Parts: sequence; structure tokens; C-alpha cells
Amino acid sequence: MTRQYETVYIFDSALDDQVIAEKLTKFHAMLNPEGEVTLDHWGRRQLAYKIGRRDAGYYVVARFACDPALLPEFERALKLDDAVVRYLVSIHEHELGAPPMTEEQLAAARAAAEEDEEDDE
Amino acid sequence: MMARRTKKPSPINEANIRYVDYKDERFLSRFISDNGKILPARLSGVDARHQRQLAAAIKKARYLALLPYTRGQQG
Repeated sequence: MTRQYETVYIFDSALDDQVIAEKLTKFHAMLNPEGEVTLDHWGRRQLAYKIGRRDAGYYVVARFACDPALLPEFERALKLDDAVVRYLVSIHEHELGAPPMTEEQLAAARAAAEEDEEDDE
Repeated sequence: MMARRTKKPSPINEANIRYVDYKDERFLSRFISDNGKILPARLSGVDARHQRQLAAAIKKARYLALLPYTRGQQG
């Protein structure tokens, strides 16, 4: 049985984009994902608070379907890798009310939110 | 007895959001105080179901350093 997951990675922002891409491929190979892994590179961004000495990180959001039994090993690899500052694996399934958020939807939601804010003023 | 206050419409239902996304920190930031605390539903007018989703989403966003745990303090 496979389930839909979403993982957010925060990589060390000092790493090269290529190194990060290689690491991602390596991690995802462990999962034997069913279908494609959708990657969303947010890129480097400021952290809301310092993690150790870092105040920036390289964010990547990955969505994939895989066998839950493979996850512990995957998370162990993430934990041991110094390049990964933080990660969060969560279930991403429609029946739980999680629609796939495309860039347009996010942009539309943001535009709507901004309009709301203007209304308040 | 007169009602002390009328119920505010839920801002989440108004924004037409079915699922509160922990990655949308600009949206979530509307529901935290200046110090970074989660606003009580009585102030934000969020209905109970969405308040629970919000709380979980804000906590995830904090872990991912998208939102601060605290703000406006020294150090």
C-alpha cells in the first residue's frame, strides 16, 4: 500500500544548487516512489529565527507516493545528513482535505488575502 | 438578555479556504499576535474547526522556521 506524502526540506543555504539536487535524488531513490516526485524549489530564504548559527535556508517541497514502511529508513538518512538543517514529512492526501496547491492557486489565495486586508483598513 | 457581541464571520470561510496550509506563512501570519502567539478564536472570529487546523498549521510552520516562536523580545 502506498500513501501520499509531502516533505519539506531545509538545506544548508551555503550548498550549491547542484549538490542539493543530487541529495534529493539520492533520498528519493530510497523511497522507491510510485509515480513521479513533484519538486517545488522555493530556494534560499530567511529563517524566521536562527537555527544554530544559520539565519537562512534552502527550502524544497517534495510530494510523492510511497510505502510507509520505507519512511523510517528515509528519515534516518535525513537526520544523519548534515546538509539537511530540518525536514518535515507529512501526509498529503485529498480525503484528509488537502488539495494540491498549484502556484496559481497560491497566488490567487494571496491576492484574495491582500484584498481582505485592504477591506479591513 | 442582550447578546454582548455578535458573532464575526469566520475569516477562513470567507477566504474560501478548505484546507489550512502550513506552508502559506503569509496567510498564517494573520492569526498570530505581535509576539508570535496564536490569536484566540474569540479575537480572530475563526470557527472551532478551522481554529484547530490553524493551530496545527502554525505549529508546523514554526518548526520549519516560516513563523517565529516568539517575536519582539531581545535576543
